[in-house]
Amino acid sequence: MSRTSHLLRRFLTPYLLLAPGLLWLIVFFIFPTVQMFLYSVSTGSVDFGYRLTWSFAAFTQIPQEFSRQFANSILYGTLATILTFLISYPLAYFIAFRGGRYKNVILFLVIAPFFTSFLIRTISWQIILGDNGPVIGLIHTVDVFHQVPQNFTFMGEPIAVVSGLVYNFLPFMTLPLYVALERIDLRLIEAAQDLYAGPWRPRGWIYGALGGAALGGLVGFGISWSVPAFAAAGAVLGTLIGGFFVSESFLRVTFPLSLPGVFAGSLLTFIPALGDYVNATLLGSPKTQMIGNVIQARFLESNDYPTASALSFVLMVGIIIAVMAYARVLGTEDLSGGVTI
Amino acid sequence: MDEMGEKGLRDALETRISRRTLLRRGGQIAGVTGVGAFLAACSGSAATTAPTQAAVPSTAASAAAPSAGAAASPTAAPPSEGPMGTILNFANWPAYIDVATSGPDKGKSPTLLQFEKATGVHVNYQEKIDDNNSFVATIRDQLKAGLDTGWDLMALTDWMAARLIGLGWISKINQANVPNCRANLRDALRNLPWDPNNDYHYTWQSGMTGVGYNKKSVAKAGMPPLTKVADLWDSRLAGHVTFLTEMRDTFGLGALKLGIDPATITLDQVKQIVNDMQPLVSQGLRFTGNSYLQDFANGKVWAAMVWSGDLASSGSADDTFVFPEEGTMIWSDNMLIPKGAQHQRAAEAFMNFVYDPKIAAQIEDYVYYVCPVKGADVEIKKIDPSAATNPLIFPTPAIVAKQHAFKILTSDEDQQFNNAFNTLMGS
Repeated sequence: MSRTSHLLRRFLTPYLLLAPGLLWLIVFFIFPTVQMFLYSVSTGSVDFGYRLTWSFAAFTQIPQEFSRQFANSILYGTLATILTFLISYPLAYFIAFRGGRYKNVILFLVIAPFFTSFLIRTISWQIILGDNGPVIGLIHTVDVFHQVPQNFTFMGEPIAVVSGLVYNFLPFMTLPLYVALERIDLRLIEAAQDLYAGPWRPRGWIYGALGGAALGGLVGFGISWSVPAFAAAGAVLGTLIGGFFVSESFLRVTFPLSLPGVFAGSLLTFIPALGDYVNATLLGSPKTQMIGNVIQARFLESNDYPTASALSFVLMVGIIIAVMAYARVLGTEDLSGGVTI
Repeated sequence: MDEMGEKGLRDALETRISRRTLLRRGGQIAGVTGVGAFLAACSGSAATTAPTQAAVPSTAASAAAPSAGAAASPTAAPPSEGPMGTILNFANWPAYIDVATSGPDKGKSPTLLQFEKATGVHVNYQEKIDDNNSFVATIRDQLKAGLDTGWDLMALTDWMAARLIGLGWISKINQANVPNCRANLRDALRNLPWDPNNDYHYTWQSGMTGVGYNKKSVAKAGMPPLTKVADLWDSRLAGHVTFLTEMRDTFGLGALKLGIDPATITLDQVKQIVNDMQPLVSQGLRFTGNSYLQDFANGKVWAAMVWSGDLASSGSADDTFVFPEEGTMIWSDNMLIPKGAQHQRAAEAFMNFVYDPKIAAQIEDYVYYVCPVKGADVEIKKIDPSAATNPLIFPTPAIVAKQHAFKILTSDEDQQFNNAFNTLMGS
């Protein structure tokens, strides 16, 4: 073999290896994205075709017409991410450190709901949260002094949409957290304890109370119920958790080492939750529509491609910017102690 | 749920999920938004059933093409004088044809079996249409190019039928092949402005949109029985009312309530209707497809805008349909032969077959929609005497006098009206 062909091959190999992936991205991502952008600056109709006019009218109407749905998406997406994190972390921690020989069984149980269709699972929440469902029934049974109004309902309210999102995306948070926690070398925690990391953190309850109040307030705001009540409940819970459950070794060793999992899990939850429209369609009402619902409706009911494309484009760019900012904060190596994803 | 029975449950599930477009659209939207891709992946069943291209009909069509003996380009429609072929690809809406509930053919449609026996043509009957827009989206490119869509016959609602005919995407029917249709089409369905001579369409079924309510719930709310659309605005019903997700139905009844003629409705009038409905939305008004059946069954909804046949066939004894004082909206789903269809002759034979009053009566006795075929009332007496006087199937002259059709919208109007409607629905 000649020297030049050898060099040529060395030069070309990486590109050839890249080619399938690149081709895939070009055909299924770059091209549709460009096409979508071009639609967003076109005028016309779906029957007679669109003409590229570089009209940005579809973009300029967004702040006025659709800010409410964008706000709903961001709020519900954020809440869903925080709540899945709060539920998943103890769960993943338990599976990783206390699961023992049941580890695989519990992991299977986490994924088991995924054997049922996404829609069937969401529709089931209509029954759980419905006016004749078990939750409302229990509330009215417990409510002996009739403080809860008879027409009290979950369906169509933000709490139903957020519940659906939390439930549907829970495994996407739990599994990355589990992987990150499971990898932690237990000797590091022992070493920390040897180096005087106490069983709990001094003043942990103060931070717990403050964090809990903030989170509770956000939840209360997000589901448009009483902010002070939720903040108070959050503060109480936070005090308990911060005071009794968060040890120094957890805060200085375990949690930082699990940050890659937090990063991956929160992205896997937040991004799809932001664009989700199924939960808002099945569990929500006109008040709780998210931006995904608008995009869906404009594309396929109004046949208003420019508006739908502009909304998709704004959503995509917004997500990219948010993810980059987030990656800068949480994805850096200093925070995760040198462990990268 | 129990009292709804099997059909009700199936309708509720099918329509909740699909007629209102959710899933099929999942796959389509996913590709566009990028972030939605995850959703499509999750809702596996949805993505895989998305009718991007009707695989079965296409292969069947190409297999049958040689027998059609088309010497011209493979996609040119065979002349309607040509041979019948052996297959007919028919796209229709769910639960829209008779189904045998017992006997050896249980689960199959007697009408389709009889047609096969009479003509030797097997009907590949697919319940592929859940929504006019999303179905047409799956074949739009082929229609535009005049290529075979995989379908020989499809049932689409008036406004969509009118639009496709206007775009020149529908094949002309050879009237010599459909003597039954010419003789038996009800007079009210003739001379429609968008196809006055029925060159391109014959009606499959018609239906009305009006008010439905549960007698017990409404009595409990302290209201007299509902008689008009405006009753849905009554504050005693607040939070327990649903309207339809079909823009033409909801705006149509909304127009009748305000004394606006839906046949000449303008964008300004639409805005008036939206303003009239907006307060209800803040009180918890929701918009649904057929799933109002479920809501009626569990007592969540007391009164609603509904389609005529549903409560009669799938509701409880207390659920009734009212022909409102302001009038009803009337619509039809129409059999159309798309340009490029490979089995036009068979499609025409099928149109002719279902316009035989005997066959029409047989279908009607199952689907409970308004029959487009003259003489079916006589035939239906022989199989189900009570059905012959049912105003849902055979509306009385007084009802017919108050039926209104929605304006045929231009492309621009369609988009503007739909945008206004989506804004009302929060999206």
